[in-house]
Amino acid sequence: MIQVSDLTFRYREGAEPVIRNISLQIPDGQFVGITGAAGCGKSTLTYAFNGIIPHCYPGDFYGSVLIDGLDTVDTSLTDLSRLVGSVCQDIDSQMVSSVVEDEILYGLENFGVPRDQVEQRIQSALDAMGIADLRDRAIASLSGGQKQKVAVASVIALEPKVLVLDEPTAELDPASSRAVFELLARYSRERGVTVIVVEQKIALLSEFADRLLIVDQGQIKFDAPPAQVLEHSQELLEIGVNCPRSTSLSVLLRQRGLYDGPVCRTVDQAVARCLEVIA
Amino acid sequence: MKGFLEYVPGNSFLHRMNPVAKLAAALLIVITCFVTSSFALLIGILVLDLVLAARCGMLKQTLGLAKAVTAFSALLGVIALFTTPEGTQLVALPFGGYLGTGSILAAVRIVLRLVACAVPLFLVFYVTRLNDIANSLVKILHVPYKYAFTFMSTVRFIPLFMNDMAGIMEAQTARGVEFDGSLVKRLRLMVPLCVPLLVSSVRKTNSAAIAAEVRGFNLRTSASGFKEYPFASRDFAAMGACLVLLVGAVALALLGI
Repeated sequence: MIQVSDLTFRYREGAEPVIRNISLQIPDGQFVGITGAAGCGKSTLTYAFNGIIPHCYPGDFYGSVLIDGLDTVDTSLTDLSRLVGSVCQDIDSQMVSSVVEDEILYGLENFGVPRDQVEQRIQSALDAMGIADLRDRAIASLSGGQKQKVAVASVIALEPKVLVLDEPTAELDPASSRAVFELLARYSRERGVTVIVVEQKIALLSEFADRLLIVDQGQIKFDAPPAQVLEHSQELLEIGVNCPRSTSLSVLLRQRGLYDGPVCRTVDQAVARCLEVIA
Repeated sequence: MKGFLEYVPGNSFLHRMNPVAKLAAALLIVITCFVTSSFALLIGILVLDLVLAARCGMLKQTLGLAKAVTAFSALLGVIALFTTPEGTQLVALPFGGYLGTGSILAAVRIVLRLVACAVPLFLVFYVTRLNDIANSLVKILHVPYKYAFTFMSTVRFIPLFMNDMAGIMEAQTARGVEFDGSLVKRLRLMVPLCVPLLVSSVRKTNSAAIAAEVRGFNLRTSASGFKEYPFASRDFAAMGACLVLLVGAVALALLGI
């Protein structure tokens, strides 16, 4: 369980708080998507979950963030890392090894995972991300999507209870982006791991997340299941968040008086609704 | 071979050696090259280098390196040529001294020496995974992990920074900056680009430090490494052979050969 209470944070070099008065609870095993316009504070919010603020980026920290009852201010970054696995935006910077296997091994070695479990953990992480064939490949030879999967595999090998990912599909094409989300959703479902993803591609979040947080100017504007959040498509547009095209289409059908059901989140739903309208 | 210090897989003798033994043997060869003045020994080491390179499947790349080192050491050779007045005089120099047969030998010796000592280090770094070098240094020689990690990160970041620099230069070229022309002109144009490169380097380094920390960097001890690096008989044999080579070089030097 993650519990955020009245969280406000201002970077030391910043004039204004980047996130303000945020309170929320995330139960175990939930897949949470966070989105918002550029510079709205969504990445900073994830830094609060994994302890990067205030441990790495100093500033004024008000309120509290509890991860499984541990206060992120009082707990060291290393101890928090046992609970929260993080994948940052800049994948190249995150890599510490030159070969895929060594990259996954790195965290396992540091956290002292028993030797008899290491092989199983590596293989399981590679299988979960569908990259078992890349095990001996040089990281420099991988594509952006493959590196992304390696980064996620190296974190899930540590078996964290919470997985925090900052724009994990930033460098990926649509097919690879979708593949990463499918893997994350499956992993969350099968292992009961809480997954928190910051992402600009709202269509993917809408399809895969259990809950969508829309951040605007450091505050949470909407916090609900994707279907409910997308009902506010006009307000989302005003704060710089585009809705999926399937949602826009269903809103248009509503405006024309041709449809009065809930907004669509996926292409399949939109196709089905259009066929109903035509029929 | 795709990138800077990117591991070249294989199963050669050198590939199978213990990383610390490889480094030790390479360093012994380097010291031998600097101790000896014997042409025969230097040529012998060069032949050994090329045989090892061929066995590792890296002959072509090694010849490329030898060519580059030759070009660089030729500069030093030219300096030696004009500052080592030895042997039979061939040409009297206008600023005093002379250019003799000994001068030519000194210049050739410098080139041979640098090429012969560069190749073993080159091979060791390409046929050993960086992690294995770092982890074996930590496990066997008890080098603090911080230093091993710093070495690894430095090597890993070089191509990333080169890519960043190429990106910045491309962006400048698109805005009309012409990077063609003399070396001085190119350097003058590149100096201002070092600022954005420095900014992105600091940012990347900071991200890397955070990424390492959230994966337990601070918990790492010399016993943390999963892989073991035992010494095999081939490691002792290789180090012994290199030691014999060094002793031979010292003996020849003492005899003035």
